Amino acid sequence: MRYVKLPQENVYEFLERLKNFGKLYAPVKISEKFYDFREVDDVRKIEFHYNRTIMPPKKFFFLPKETMFKFSISKAEYNEVIENVEPFVIFGLHACDIFGLKVMDTIYLDEFPDKYYKVRREKGIIIGISCMPDEYCFCNLRETDFADDGFDLFLHELPDGWLVRVGTPMGHRIVDKNIKLFEEVTTQDICNFREFEKKRHQAFKYHEDWGNLRYLLELEMEHPMWNEQSELCLGCGNCNLTCPTCRCYEVQDIPNLDGDTGVRIRRWDSCQLRSHGLVAGNHNFRPTKKDRFMNRYLCKNSYNEKLGISYCVGCGRCTYFCPAGISFVDNLRTILGLEDKSCPPEMSEEIPKRGFAYASNIRGEEI
Amino acid sequence: MENRKIRIGFYALTSCYGCQLQFAMMDEILQLIDKAKIECWYMLSRDSSEEREVDIAFIEGSVSTKEEIELVKKIREKAKIVVAVGSCAVHGGVQSWGKDKEFEQLWKTVYGDGKVKFEPKMAEPVEKFIKVDYKLYGCPPEKKDFLYALGTFLVGSWPEDIDYPVCVECRLKGNSCILIEKGEPCLGPVTVAGCDARCPAYGIACIGCRGAVGYDVAWFDSLAREFKKKGLKKKEILDRMKIFNAHNPKLEEMVNKIFEEGE
Repeated sequence: MRYVKLPQENVYEFLERLKNFGKLYAPVKISEKFYDFREVDDVRKIEFHYNRTIMPPKKFFFLPKETMFKFSISKAEYNEVIENVEPFVIFGLHACDIFGLKVMDTIYLDEFPDKYYKVRREKGIIIGISCMPDEYCFCNLRETDFADDGFDLFLHELPDGWLVRVGTPMGHRIVDKNIKLFEEVTTQDICNFREFEKKRHQAFKYHEDWGNLRYLLELEMEHPMWNEQSELCLGCGNCNLTCPTCRCYEVQDIPNLDGDTGVRIRRWDSCQLRSHGLVAGNHNFRPTKKDRFMNRYLCKNSYNEKLGISYCVGCGRCTYFCPAGISFVDNLRTILGLEDKSCPPEMSEEIPKRGFAYASNIRGEEI
Repeated sequence: MENRKIRIGFYALTSCYGCQLQFAMMDEILQLIDKAKIECWYMLSRDSSEEREVDIAFIEGSVSTKEEIELVKKIREKAKIVVAVGSCAVHGGVQSWGKDKEFEQLWKTVYGDGKVKFEPKMAEPVEKFIKVDYKLYGCPPEKKDFLYALGTFLVGSWPEDIDYPVCVECRLKGNSCILIEKGEPCLGPVTVAGCDARCPAYGIACIGCRGAVGYDVAWFDSLAREFKKKGLKKKEILDRMKIFNAHNPKLEEMVNKIFEEGE
């Protein structure tokens, strides 16, 4: 890997020059407490030390709302609406969000290739930035705290600038075209980088092993936590809609008034909404708030085979942006037995046999 | 059905007429000329009559007089599809806010000893008296919802109901979250989406003008718990939630539950 140093005094010039590679988006403050990736005109407004953005960077590739195609009923045809995407630069992604995009790629580039996603993904230049975790961060437990790839450049903070890792040919091009802004990495820089990483590692709230979590979740389907916590839930969908890896969408056909033509649109969906589990015949396979609540926990903690990590990248958004103050991490730690040590967990009523493994109504052949 | 024009009626009960004004002023309404025949829409056509049969009947306003009870029954008999339009028709409107007070007292406060030619009653949603097939929410409703419903009926299909809260659109739009950030009693989590989170986009907490989400997924209890944590009293919470949801059968019970929990 190629390493260069971007001295502090050259940072704004570097950011300004990024605009030569496409429209520049970066984290900015959008309200009293919250941040979001927005198009940046004045590079001095960019926040280098933001905690997390309210919208995840997937929004640049998998649009919150978009038109998929136009149709005509009389002609029995449809034409896809795929816009001509110009190259663009997203500056300032944290490692967890880069992993978030990698998770999205395993779905929308590999498993279910999505041309709307692909056309944007090919044009997006990704520049990562190091961060210091706050109490909501748990990417270390998800093994998504350090990005090996998935970026063109990655900037690591030094006391007097940034140590830059170059990840792709595009990254090389950005550095080469602006080579005068960069310096060679010195021994002192390496020591500073190491120091930063050590400090960062120590700053995480928890240091523990979550390797068996996804299995414990399946076994603990009857845990009292589910009732207690889903009761607090507002069913608003904030957790899914701020998640960097949630990828469900809802489609709708919007006919024009001519009784013939129209468009199909799609928007981000949330499994906390009633219609997510609603299918033909008015059957809902997740009829209660608790069913929907549990679904997100199981989905996020399931295993992404291709990456060898879970679908949750530990960014902390679903907790930070939950209006009901529900803590995803606390609830998972409850299941892991790290919050409450008693086992079986204390319950007022009789404890039923627990989990899938003990379900009495599984249909199948008699053995 | 191929070439026959679709017959439309737009009827007004007690209301501000803002809903039909909203739709009457759309440019797109001109596209309807060769598709639809307006049988009754006084704001658009002097050749209107409430006596004619229609394919789609749009009703705005709350049922607020005895005469209007008869009118909605007549509309139902003469229409294939009945669409309740706007907060008044769908949820009884803001005029239902005083639902728990004595009708006589309310009447006196507003009209004093004034005489009227009709028999007034407490405002109620259209659904209390007749079957409603589809609802267009909002105060006023959104043009796009009206176009979507009409367009879908015109291709012989059925429009989808909106069964998710304002929060969804608020997040899609990239707004900040007022409820979390400012701690203001935003009703977004229990209110039907479709407004594109207009008020929160301007930093104003949702007042719930589109009414609560149906299908028992408006979690008044969980939201009341949050409001309570932020220091709101039970009456303040109920008053706010009832502005547009006075007739919701679950609201009071769900909010009361939270205040019985103790803590």
